[in-house]
Amino acid sequence: MAGRYSLDPGQTPRTILRRVLDTVDTRSPRRRRSTQTNAQRTPLQALSSKRQGSQSKTTVRRHSYGTRSVGGLAHVQAHRRLEEQTPRTLLKNILLTAPESSMMMPDSVMKPVQVPEMVESSRQESSLGSLELQLPEPETPSTLAPGLRATSKRKQRLRLSIFQQEVNQGVSLASEPPGNADASSLASSFNLSFVPPPQSQSVKRPGLARRRPKRQPVDVGALLQDLKNNSLTSALPGDNHRSPVATLPMDEVLEDTQPFSHPSAGGSLSAYRSLPNPSPTGVEGSEGLVRHRMRSAGTGLQHMNRTGLGTIPLPFSEPQPQLPELREAVGSQEAVEAKEQEGSSGVEDSPGGPASPELSCSTNDLLQAEQPHQFEPPPPSGVAILPSGPLESVPARLPSRTRTAGPRHHQDPYKAGLSHYIKFFSFCTKRPVEKAALGIVEKCLDKYFQHLCNDLEVFSAHAGRKTVKLEDLELLLRRQGLVTDQVSLHVLVERYLPLEYRQLLIPCAFSGNSVFPAQ
Amino acid sequence: MEETEAEEQRQFSHRQRLKAAVHYTVGCLCNEVALDKQVQFNKQTVAAIAEVTFRQCENFAKDLEMFARHAKRSTVTTEDVKLLARRSNSLLKYITEKNEEIAQLNLERKAKKKRKPEDESSHSGEPDAEVVDSES
Repeated sequence: MAGRYSLDPGQTPRTILRRVLDTVDTRSPRRRRSTQTNAQRTPLQALSSKRQGSQSKTTVRRHSYGTRSVGGLAHVQAHRRLEEQTPRTLLKNILLTAPESSMMMPDSVMKPVQVPEMVESSRQESSLGSLELQLPEPETPSTLAPGLRATSKRKQRLRLSIFQQEVNQGVSLASEPPGNADASSLASSFNLSFVPPPQSQSVKRPGLARRRPKRQPVDVGALLQDLKNNSLTSALPGDNHRSPVATLPMDEVLEDTQPFSHPSAGGSLSAYRSLPNPSPTGVEGSEGLVRHRMRSAGTGLQHMNRTGLGTIPLPFSEPQPQLPELREAVGSQEAVEAKEQEGSSGVEDSPGGPASPELSCSTNDLLQAEQPHQFEPPPPSGVAILPSGPLESVPARLPSRTRTAGPRHHQDPYKAGLSHYIKFFSFCTKRPVEKAALGIVEKCLDKYFQHLCNDLEVFSAHAGRKTVKLEDLELLLRRQGLVTDQVSLHVLVERYLPLEYRQLLIPCAFSGNSVFPAQ
Repeated sequence: MEETEAEEQRQFSHRQRLKAAVHYTVGCLCNEVALDKQVQFNKQTVAAIAEVTFRQCENFAKDLEMFARHAKRSTVTTEDVKLLARRSNSLLKYITEKNEEIAQLNLERKAKKKRKPEDESSHSGEPDAEVVDSES
C-alpha cells in the first residue's frame, strides 16, 4: 500500500492530494453518509478511514470550501472500495511519510507542509474529542497507532500553540491569499474546537473570512439639524409659494439618493423628471393619498401599507419624517390615522415624479392586489362617503394650491387617484405614450373601477347585507373568471398578495390553538 | 368507461339539439328584423349570433346559480335575474316592468284564491272559470 504512492521530490503531498481530489465527483458533503459507508468497511479499515475521514473532511472543506466534498470522497470510496489505493489510504501514506515540519518555519515548500500540519492537527482534534465533527466512536481513533500518536501528540501540542499564536496574528488581516487563507482559517477554526483556547476569543469566524461591518458613528446632532432645516423649508402647504425653490433641491437630493431598483426604467423616468413641479405633485399626491387612504381606511392594513411601501421608500424614511407630516396637513381628516400611514404616504408624494413610477409600481401592485380585499370592513356607503369627505376638504385647499401651482387645470379628485395607475401604465408600455391615449386609458380605468364598486355594493345588497364582505368579492372574482372551480380565492391570495395580507385573510392556526382570522 | 362515453355522447347530442333550436330561433328573429329594417342577413352572421347567444346563455345560467347561492337560496328568483340584467338599463327597466306585472297578477290570483273558499260554498263551478280567465 505504501509502495505505490511514494513521494517524489518534485511532487508534494499536496499536489498529489489535489490530483486525487480533482478526480473525485463533486457532491454535497454528507457526513452521515460517509460515516455510513465507513461502517460498511472492515473494522480496522473502518477505524482508519473514520480517522482519515474526519481529517480528509477537514482538509477537503478547508481547501475547497465545499466544492469538493466528503460525499465525493465517500462516493469514491464506495466505488474504489475494492481498489487498494483510495484517497484515504493516500492520506494515510502522507501522514506516515510526510516530514513533520511546522508551518511557521519559512519553508520554500510552504503549502505541502500545511497539508500534513492540518491533517495532523485535525487528527489531534479528533483525538481530543472536542470537535463537533467527532464521529460516534471517539475512543477508537486513539487506539490506532498509539506509538505514532504519542510522539506526534507531544510534538503537536507544542507546535500548535505556537501555531495558534502565529495564526491569530495572521487572521487579523482582512484579505489573504487563498493558500494562507486556508491555513489561517483552518488553524483558527481549530481554535474553536480546542477546549481551552486562550486566543480564540479574539477570532470570531474567520473560516468564512467575514469582515467586520464598518459602522460609522451616526451624528445624531447633524441629523436633527437636517431635519429641522427641511421642516422649515418645506413648511406648510399654504406657504408653498414661498418655498417651491426650497422643495425642488430637496426633490433632487432625494432623486440622487434613489435606490437603483429599476435600471430599465431609466428612459421612461426621465420623461417624468421634467413633468411635475413639486407642488402639483404635492396636490396630486395628496389627492392620490386621499384616495389611497380611502382605499385602505379602516381596513387595519395601514401598517401593511407601510411595510408594503417600505421596500422602496426606506432610504427616504430617515431624512424626512417631518416633511410628510407637513404635507399631510392637506388631507387633514386623515390626520387621525396612524402616523405610519403618514410616513408611508408622505414618502409617496414627496419624492415626486421620478420616484413615483417605482413607488406607484409598488403602490399599484398593492392597490391592485388590495382592490378585491380592501372593501371588506368599510361598508359600501362608507366607500361612497369617504370620497365625498376628502372632496370637501381638498377643494377648500385646492384654490390655495392652484394659485401657487401656476397654470394647471383643475383635476377631478376622483381622477387624481388614477394618476398613479396611469404612470404605472406608461411605465409598463416601455414606450412614450400620447397624452390623449393616456386620457382614454384613464377614462377606461375610471369606468372599470366604478363598475367594480357598484357590483360590490349590489352584491352585498343582494345578500341582504349592508357590509361588503369577502363573499361578495369572491362572487365578483368568480364572475371575472379569476376564481374558478380549480382556482380558489385563497390560491389567488397566496399568489398575489404579500404575506402580511395573507395572514389577515387566510385562517391560520397560531399557538394555543387560536385561529386567526376567526372562522 | 363505456357508460361515461355514452353519457358524453348523449350530452353532446343534447347540446347540438339545443344549439339547433337556438339557431332556428335566431334565424327567425333575424328574418323579422330584416323585413323590418330592409337589410339582409348573412348566414354566417346568423350563425355567429346563434353561437354567441348560446354561450351567453351558458354564462347567464352559471351567474344566476351563483347569485342564488350567494343569497343563500336554492331557487333562482327574479331578483337574481334583475341582478344579472343590471348592466343594460333598458333591459333592466323592461325586466322590472315585467316583474311588476307578474307580481300584480300573482296578487290578483291570491286575492281571488282567498275569495274562492268563501265562494266555493255557494258557487262550485265558477271559481274554475275565474281561475282560467285570470290565467289567460
